Amino acid sequence: MTLALFSGSIDKLTAAGIILSGAAADDMDVDVFVLLQAARAFRKDIAYDTDKLSMAENPHLKAEFMESLEKLNVQPWTTFLKEARELTNVKIHICGLAGKIWGGDKLEDFIDTADDICGISEYITAAQEADVHLFI
Amino acid sequence: MTTDELKNLVADNSVDARGTACPGPLLAAKKAIGSIKTGEILEILSTDEGTKRDIPKWAGKKGHEFLGTLEESGYFKIYMKK
Repeated sequence: MTLALFSGSIDKLTAAGIILSGAAADDMDVDVFVLLQAARAFRKDIAYDTDKLSMAENPHLKAEFMESLEKLNVQPWTTFLKEARELTNVKIHICGLAGKIWGGDKLEDFIDTADDICGISEYITAAQEADVHLFI
Repeated sequence: MTTDELKNLVADNSVDARGTACPGPLLAAKKAIGSIKTGEILEILSTDEGTKRDIPKWAGKKGHEFLGTLEESGYFKIYMKK
């Protein structure tokens, strides 16, 4: 499976984390390509701080969403990624251009679950070979 | 399996995923299945409604046998054989 993660919105990052968990339970190989706004969310100094992440389409619902996640005992999106990696072969690629746009030049600028910085050709090749392709 | 048969089952491992939302119980089952041998029985406790459909579907795909679900007060028990 390939997952093109474009959004840096907290609700969509959470959805991506849950989908990755399902794929991990199923032993699927997953390549995640972190594009544009998502690259900002993957920055080490932003990823774990939900105050720095937006709720893109419904900013007025962010407080309610965050409160519900906590009440329902839903773990942070970054933890979903980490757990999925422990269970199956998940590779997380940061788009090089997106990284630069959002102030991350080196792999060290992003959360530890990121594997490498890549170009568009790697994404297209992986998408061509995958059975399931998602764009979030 | 009938309800009585399920009630008499002795699980070889049991995971308590109560209080976790989807995909918590599924991931708990995925982690626990590695701890038992083929032919042994896994019990999953869950309060998440979606799990009742999720686990049988997952078990079938992974080649495990779904045995059934028992309703308790406020939660349910799901049984599967590896």
